Amino acid sequence: MQQELHALLDKARAEFSATKIRADFEATKARYVGPNGSLTAFMKQMGGLPKEQKPVVGKLINETKTALAALLAAALRTIEAGELAAQLGPAIDPTLPSPDAPAGTSHPLTLVREEMCRILAKAGFSVVEGPEAETEFYCFDALNTPADHPARNEQDTFYFPADARFGNISKKVPGEKYLLRTHTSSVQIRTMLKGQPPIRIVSPGRVYRRDTTDATHSANFHQLECLYVDKNVTVRDLKALLDYIFASLLGKDTKTRFRPHYFGYTEPSFEVDLSAKHLPKVNKEWIEIGGCGMVDPTVFDAVGYDSKVWTGYAFGMGLERLAMLLYGIDDIRYFYQNDLRFLRQFA
Amino acid sequence: MKISLNWLNDYIDLSGISNDDISKAITFLGFEVESVHNTGAPKFNNVVTGRILTRDRHPNADKLSVCTVDVGPAGGVKTIVCGAPNCDAGNLVPVALPGAILPGNFEIKQSKIRGQSSDGMMCSSKELAIEGGDHAGLMILAAPADANPPALGVAINDVLPPGDTVFDIEITPNRPDCLSHIGIARELSAWFKNPLKYPETKYAPAAGAPARPDLLEAIRVDSAEMCPLYTATVITGIKTGPSPEWMQRRLIAAGMRPISNIVDISNYVMLEYGQPTHAFDAKKIAGRQIIIRPAAEGEKITTLDEKERALNSRMLVIADAEKPLVIAGIMGGENSGIDDTTADIVLEAAIFSRTLIRWTSRQIGLSSDSSYRFERGVDPHTLDEAARRAISLILELCGGQVAGTTHKAGGDIPWQREIQISPAYVNERAGFEIPAADQRAALEALELRITREDKSASDGPVWTVSIPTWRDDLDRPIDLVEEVLRVYGTEKIPPSPVLAPALIGNDDPIVLFNRAVSAQLAGQGFNECVNYTLRSKAEVDAWAPPAAAAGLALSNPFTEDQSHLRATLVPGLLETLKLNQSRGVAATRLFEAGRVFIERNGQNFECVSAAFIIAENADANRAWLKRSPADFYTAKCLVETLASIGGIDLSRQPVEMPSGATFGWQEGQFAVIGDIARGWIARLGLVDLALLRGLGIEGKVYAGALSILSERVKNTSDRRRYQPVAMTPAALRDIALVVDEKLPAADVQKTLAKLARAALPNTFALETVDIFDVYQGKGLPEAKKSLAFSLAYRAPDRTLTDDEVNTAFTKLQEAIAKNQPDWQIRK
Repeated sequence: MQQELHALLDKARAEFSATKIRADFEATKARYVGPNGSLTAFMKQMGGLPKEQKPVVGKLINETKTALAALLAAALRTIEAGELAAQLGPAIDPTLPSPDAPAGTSHPLTLVREEMCRILAKAGFSVVEGPEAETEFYCFDALNTPADHPARNEQDTFYFPADARFGNISKKVPGEKYLLRTHTSSVQIRTMLKGQPPIRIVSPGRVYRRDTTDATHSANFHQLECLYVDKNVTVRDLKALLDYIFASLLGKDTKTRFRPHYFGYTEPSFEVDLSAKHLPKVNKEWIEIGGCGMVDPTVFDAVGYDSKVWTGYAFGMGLERLAMLLYGIDDIRYFYQNDLRFLRQFA
Repeated sequence: MKISLNWLNDYIDLSGISNDDISKAITFLGFEVESVHNTGAPKFNNVVTGRILTRDRHPNADKLSVCTVDVGPAGGVKTIVCGAPNCDAGNLVPVALPGAILPGNFEIKQSKIRGQSSDGMMCSSKELAIEGGDHAGLMILAAPADANPPALGVAINDVLPPGDTVFDIEITPNRPDCLSHIGIARELSAWFKNPLKYPETKYAPAAGAPARPDLLEAIRVDSAEMCPLYTATVITGIKTGPSPEWMQRRLIAAGMRPISNIVDISNYVMLEYGQPTHAFDAKKIAGRQIIIRPAAEGEKITTLDEKERALNSRMLVIADAEKPLVIAGIMGGENSGIDDTTADIVLEAAIFSRTLIRWTSRQIGLSSDSSYRFERGVDPHTLDEAARRAISLILELCGGQVAGTTHKAGGDIPWQREIQISPAYVNERAGFEIPAADQRAALEALELRITREDKSASDGPVWTVSIPTWRDDLDRPIDLVEEVLRVYGTEKIPPSPVLAPALIGNDDPIVLFNRAVSAQLAGQGFNECVNYTLRSKAEVDAWAPPAAAAGLALSNPFTEDQSHLRATLVPGLLETLKLNQSRGVAATRLFEAGRVFIERNGQNFECVSAAFIIAENADANRAWLKRSPADFYTAKCLVETLASIGGIDLSRQPVEMPSGATFGWQEGQFAVIGDIARGWIARLGLVDLALLRGLGIEGKVYAGALSILSERVKNTSDRRRYQPVAMTPAALRDIALVVDEKLPAADVQKTLAKLARAALPNTFALETVDIFDVYQGKGLPEAKKSLAFSLAYRAPDRTLTDDEVNTAFTKLQEAIAKNQPDWQIRK
């Protein structure tokens, strides 16, 4: 019997080393330890043995069983290792570049707009939107721009024919013409007409001027305007906002200065200069960055706010200009060409 | 406006104040200084005075002369070849000796000209970059006969008159009073606290020479509203000729060309006071009358710039009995101007309506220094003084005498303006303390006189401020706050923290939408682009139905290729793709978020839109570069994502595949979901291959675009409600249906779900009907396809038994056989 058991083990060793896949393994395994397996047959003989032989034979069978179990386990390990290896793809060369598209990018104008909005959000401004196709009332009349003001003339502003209809842009004055807004100030008017003060909003958006396109002019560009309406708003508050914005954007020691100026919708009005030493490619001490002022009482009258009670300030700037200054870009047209070598520089 | 420093010094003493400080003052008073430059000669070395001793013809050149020139201590007598016609012996001229560097980096060297050696160059004023000189020949510093000529060999800068400093200033439209030297001097006087001296005007109307009705009998204003004040003064016996040099120099500094004494005086007074005047040659006035009247429709006049202008009845002319002489306030006609023979003149000083002048000027496309001032506003109350100033200068410089008294029409323009303001109010608006004394000083320096002080008010004194006639821009207390701040100095606004009481309010849903779209697409490898809104008609026609181009057209486009609003963002992205491809930059995934305009039934609708394109990567055939290519379903998933950001669930929406005109898309390879009439629309799929080829784009491009009416963009920040998650297992059953190949899968799915629900008992539910396979080909009849669905049944509170599910599933199969005879259940 001992020899038979040795022969069984030898045979098993040969058979299991030849099994490569799990199905063969299971079939082979069954031939030994299955209900009709050869080792199982030996175990069944145990019952018929004389009592005194039982311990000796039992020991032999157990030893064989243990050896066989080890064989099974080893064979299974080999098969599992093979299975895992089969899951692997071809060899890699970690130095090859990935063909997948690199992370996408936001446009520099979006980045600058969002940065400004984040800065202003901390000062309590929420972002509003308004239509780009506007009417004369929202773009001019309500902003104290009289009918014969040069800014309204057809040389500077894009108009639509008198019979043009915009289904979702309301007219305030019957018969007024539609146009492409020349500034985002029209959004201030729409916001004020919609609700009551206090108001603290920022309106970024696309605006249009009838201009020759060159390095610094573009038929459409983007502006960002802030409006704050409350009681007792002062010139000093306005200056504080501008100082805060540009210190946030360019560092704490950035300075701004106000030069008195004229805008129809603010009084007093100022142009804002920025100390330029933090900016690339600027070799001037001060650089103009935007316009601002205290909301003119006539504007409050136009939207039905009591100008004796409410005061406010407004600030506006060009986003392209800001982006050009921040990044050192010298031609506004690059923003609209979208050369990927340009776009990828800012992400 | 160009302002001469020499001229300013007539009215305010600016000596000892640097040009930089003056510039800064002008800047902080609220006027942008565009440039500052000096009109004088640059500083020269080796350019000295010399006298021409002899002049001989050049032996080898007819047009050249050989001169001997004495430059005295600078080197004695030199031989110089000269081409100027006026290098006559005796003239004292500037001589550039070897080593001198003239403007344009032109170095003077000892040289030979046509075989004749030359020791330097005699100079014209142009060669020395002196403005306004006679450039025809050498600059003559002294003629032979002149007494007290400059010494010889003296550095030229010591002999030339010192230059003037010219500030080019942008005057804001609210300050027409500063379109004059006096106006700017007044501002500077306030800033530097130097007194202002007004010009001396010697002429005062008095009974002098008799009137000359033979020259001008009467004036008549037919349109007082358009011309509230008109004056005409007859001056006889004048002598025309050039104006004096000092006046010419000032006019040149201010950017005007000297013409003749009368015209120059008129311009001079305009630049001094801001009041335009006009001189007529009296003998050219027919019928001895000046009539200020509306132009006749179609009436013509040839203006001084030699152009014939057709007028209409909304325009105003100054006419005589027969013809128009002047387009009022804008430009004179060549039929009545001053010429060499003029002996008697009529001097006009008038006020015209701002609106009229602005309108007329724009209408005829003619802007003049006069119209520029009238359309911004000329102070009628300064007119008298300015006119007297002009008359004084004429009498002084051209001779003659005033005949009779000045003819006048209109003129009773009332002016009495006072503003009540308290120093406390100024401080309240400014947000910081400006001492009352400083406020008072600032106002009074601008001639805003405090005529009354009431002390009774609880918060300090109240001032009554009298507004001078030239400050029509000041009307309200807030206007005076600006005046105080300007003069006090905006640089003194103290720093302060931002005080921001929190307000409830979120960013606009459109902002949130754009932000989320941008983050989503950039996160998926798309590059954000920004393209122009204005597009060509051809592009709009290619991408939208014919009616769109009509609705989206501007009435006054600037260029032909930017004449229409964009109806979709896709063509802009294709343009970007093309640009990158042509520059050899690999671009595959691009997107834009922006406004588009969709025309429907004669109306335009402004929409918030997001669009992307995915182009084929030309490198995709290399082994390790192999990636599954984008297809229609890639675009569909992205559009669904964009829609869900906009609060729209696309899964329940009907999908259309339009045929016929596909507007930029490839027929059979694109879909339209939604309708702008319902608030939004999405288009997605393959871009028309022929269109791509036409654009010169290589490879296929898939695209998707979602547009939502701007007012319909949903606020995605709406609070969501938790739905319990089922803990019991679902029972799954699969069914494959053989249907017509044209039948959209979603239609089958919808019908199947409906039948399956109808077959259910009310004890459990059908949760989902998912499509998991589409098959067409071997084993199926011609023109049929097989759609395989997986149905998930579930009860919320227990595990379903096979029997109950089987019953429902069997009932479903029976219902299909009965209700959908065209479908076959695939076994």
